[in-house]
Amino acid sequence: MSSVNHQQTFEKLVRPHFDRLYRLAWRLTGQKAEAEDLFQELLIKAYGKLDKLVKIDEPGSWLSRVMYNLFIDERRRFARRRMQTVEEGEMSGEGLAGLPGIENPARDYARQEQLAKLDAALSKLSDEHRLIVLLHDNEGYKLTEIQELIGVPVGTVKSRLHRARARLREMLVASGTFS
Amino acid sequence: MQTENPKTDLDKQDQEILALLKDYPMPQASAAYFDQALVRATHEGSRRQRNHWLMTGFGSAIAAGLVLWLIGGFFLTPPALPLADPSIPGITMTLEEPRTINLVFASAEALDAATLTVRLPAGIEMSGFPGQREVTWETSLKTGKNLLPLKLIATSPVGGEIFATLKHDDRGRTFRLRVDIS
Repeated sequence: MSSVNHQQTFEKLVRPHFDRLYRLAWRLTGQKAEAEDLFQELLIKAYGKLDKLVKIDEPGSWLSRVMYNLFIDERRRFARRRMQTVEEGEMSGEGLAGLPGIENPARDYARQEQLAKLDAALSKLSDEHRLIVLLHDNEGYKLTEIQELIGVPVGTVKSRLHRARARLREMLVASGTFS
Repeated sequence: MQTENPKTDLDKQDQEILALLKDYPMPQASAAYFDQALVRATHEGSRRQRNHWLMTGFGSAIAAGLVLWLIGGFFLTPPALPLADPSIPGITMTLEEPRTINLVFASAEALDAATLTVRLPAGIEMSGFPGQREVTWETSLKTGKNLLPLKLIATSPVGGEIFATLKHDDRGRTFRLRVDIS
């Protein structure tokens, strides 16, 4: 297969999954720069395994798992790098600034405040709890999809999800978001 | 007003949290970003397939140097002197066009708490660290190859030199890279 054909085959296989993979990278890293690094690394790695990729029935699931494994291998570095910078060390993500808001300004203000408090609460969860609650309750992953991604039994995923929600509830009540 | 049924309160809070989580925002990548990522992947992937050990540009230079340093530092006593290589490796970047540079650290043994410092000239920024001329972080090295991709962007046409210093205990070594802007 020529180089051009390789590239075309690769693009055809991976492009349909870009949005989902990019979102997963964000949910894993919580930061744009590192999400983009992770996304890029995944594509480079996947391109090197094109021969394998073409034979896989569900490339999206496979790509997600490869991304997750890449993140786990490099998590120490990601976490430490975040801790070394003043601007980013105080929060797990890039916060809510600059993100698309809601049309209604009156509702928007109150909602943005709640979302800011949610953002702060999420940053205090463990990586595992934050990832599971965001994938399930925000991204709409099924429990079995999370099981397949992170490699733990469904029962464990479910109990972590419940603990994560309970912890979030505690923090949001304590911050006055909910009475 | 509080209800008198704690379970109802709990259920209501759970519903509110779920609704809030559904609204939790997510930045979208542009189509241009995806196009660029794809191009970089196919180029970089091809290069890596051609050469498993040495990366391009800065990565190649740093990789070669650190392989020598780490083997010298941990297998030989006293440590070997740095190689006398008068040439400074260089790369050419395009203004305002991000470029990922891969630092490759090959270590003969696992190292905890190594410190890596990257110093940038004015007009070269590291993605995620806007305006910072010096970025330091602690890292661990596994036995074998360790890859650290750094995404750089040139914001002025001046160029200059990038310094990367890796330290562990009282040992360390600095590498230089000349950056020209096209």
